[in-house]
Amino acid sequence: MSTDTATGSGKTTSPSSSINLESVRAVAKKDFQDAVRSWMFWGLSIFFFVLLVAVTGTISYFGEEIAQQGVTTEALVLFVSQITRLVIPLIALILGWKAIAGERETGSIKILLSLPHSRKDVLLGKLIGRSAVLSVSLIVGFALAAIVVAALLGSFDPVDYVSLLVMAIIYGLAYTSIAVSLSSVTRSTTIAGAAMFGVFILFYIVWNAIQTVFQILMNRGTIEGVSYTQEVTGPDGTTQQIPMDRLPDWALFIDTIDPGNAFQNAITVLSSTGSSELGTSYPEVWFSSDVPFYLQNWFSFIILLLWIVVPIAIALYRFDRVDL
Amino acid sequence: MPAISVDTLTKSYGQTLALSDLSFEVEEGEVFGFLGPNGAGKSTTINVILDFIRPTAGQVTVLGLDAQAHSREIRSRTGVLPEGVETYDRLTARQHLEFAIDSKGADDDPEALLERVGLRDAIDKKAGGYSKGMSQRLMLAMALVGEPELLILDEPSTGLDPNGAREMREIVREESARGATVFFSSHIMEQVEAVCDRVGILRDGEMVAVDTVSGLRDSVGGGTSLRVTVDRINDDALQAVRSLPDVGGATVEGQNPPTLVVQVDGSKTTVLSTLEDRGIDVQDFSTTEASLEDVFQSYTTDTSTEVEAR
Repeated sequence: MSTDTATGSGKTTSPSSSINLESVRAVAKKDFQDAVRSWMFWGLSIFFFVLLVAVTGTISYFGEEIAQQGVTTEALVLFVSQITRLVIPLIALILGWKAIAGERETGSIKILLSLPHSRKDVLLGKLIGRSAVLSVSLIVGFALAAIVVAALLGSFDPVDYVSLLVMAIIYGLAYTSIAVSLSSVTRSTTIAGAAMFGVFILFYIVWNAIQTVFQILMNRGTIEGVSYTQEVTGPDGTTQQIPMDRLPDWALFIDTIDPGNAFQNAITVLSSTGSSELGTSYPEVWFSSDVPFYLQNWFSFIILLLWIVVPIAIALYRFDRVDL
Repeated sequence: MPAISVDTLTKSYGQTLALSDLSFEVEEGEVFGFLGPNGAGKSTTINVILDFIRPTAGQVTVLGLDAQAHSREIRSRTGVLPEGVETYDRLTARQHLEFAIDSKGADDDPEALLERVGLRDAIDKKAGGYSKGMSQRLMLAMALVGEPELLILDEPSTGLDPNGAREMREIVREESARGATVFFSSHIMEQVEAVCDRVGILRDGEMVAVDTVSGLRDSVGGGTSLRVTVDRINDDALQAVRSLPDVGGATVEGQNPPTLVVQVDGSKTTVLSTLEDRGIDVQDFSTTEASLEDVFQSYTTDTSTEVEAR
């Protein structure tokens, strides 16, 4: 007998599998091959294509003023980002909810794990495979639409257009990470599906409600607001300094954590689309000195990165420790 | 060094004890039949061997390596046919095999593997359209990838017709001849007796017998069943036969012509003479050795009395 049998008995070694990049690649490739043949992939590509073309068509027909100002791509980014903000989580959650739970339910996870892949390899491979499906369908949709968009819009700004695409991919990656991770913590696709729906509700209803609640609590004095002075120009031309209250920085930060806000804030960093129209934006007068770094728009990249890394990290830790 | 060594393995799910102090060894190069009724704990044992589930207590060593700490290494040298698993609907047989070959870093030819399991014709068809037997053949082909040292086949005959089951046993023999150790689980004795060097019988999470096929046969007391065809039968004669010291039991099987099946340990002529003494005409008789199925039944059914567990 080898020595490791002696050390292994008696104490329970906490199971932790290793990561092998070749294995991750093999799992991701298989997963992508599998998904690319589903109606989902082509459906998504067509969906993104139609979305872009439809919004562009609307802008070019009804938005003559926008067109004259030469900011048509900005308008496109504005509209499309609002729609993708809502749609990408749905797509990522639908693509990812069965990633692990589904394979556990049908037992096919045993095919993957009978081969020399670790559980971590399987999770990462799944995340990469599913993200690739979403990303490639975005790229195909955007690339095909680019020709139509450029033709329909008077001016076409490739930087704005590519920024939107890149951010949509990163945003999709964050939600795919959430979906694959949730899928790995349960054996039942029903529970996984319910959890996905919960996440969607969380950021579309609960998150907005939280800000309202904070506002109410501040008005009642439970949360101490931050005072600032607003300069108001009266009807007679005189300016008045009016003291006002706003939510403290930490409450504002909670609002920026929403991946949807982070997605739009990050777009404003990359593209020329105005930051006042997208995501969260706060008037300068709110801050007596500099805006704290965590409320600046570039910080949204960090937030999105954390949304990608943290869920999958928790899943990697947990999935090693369960009975399949 | 044994290929698989299971040492006082216990697995419980809450209050339910799936395996209790299970110990056995599978020797290198042998074909080991892992037999037991459904729910006896066969899949649980295999799941621990492959690190799909973690033991509550005990130790499992595979190919000399700890099953938990070195699972990847073990699985790279093992071919597995898991039980009750669905294949990937949208992938073809070729893609399934390419995935297995890719995963194991092997250089097998998918066509040759599918030829061996008789699925060559369906190589580029999507597995979603396969019958259960075809899926099973595909999974067997995947298990053969990379000439593994150890083959773990969990209920490999599921979904196979008798011909398919025979072909599967043929492949087990070929793999064994190549030098591979084969660990073969089944709930049907007939499937394992034809190919296995040794058989372990699992019941309610405990190993009740481990022996060679002939050893198992002997262990149930050389039980022979005597089949006697008579012109007529009555209760009086039946009782007389049953009360003979060497007779384990007697039943009437069929009435036209009446046939008596008698489990007998010692002299068969006593049975025949007892019948004739009561004026019953013995027209024909035959004896059959207890089948392994009977052995299996006696180990795994509650009604058996003579069998002692270990």
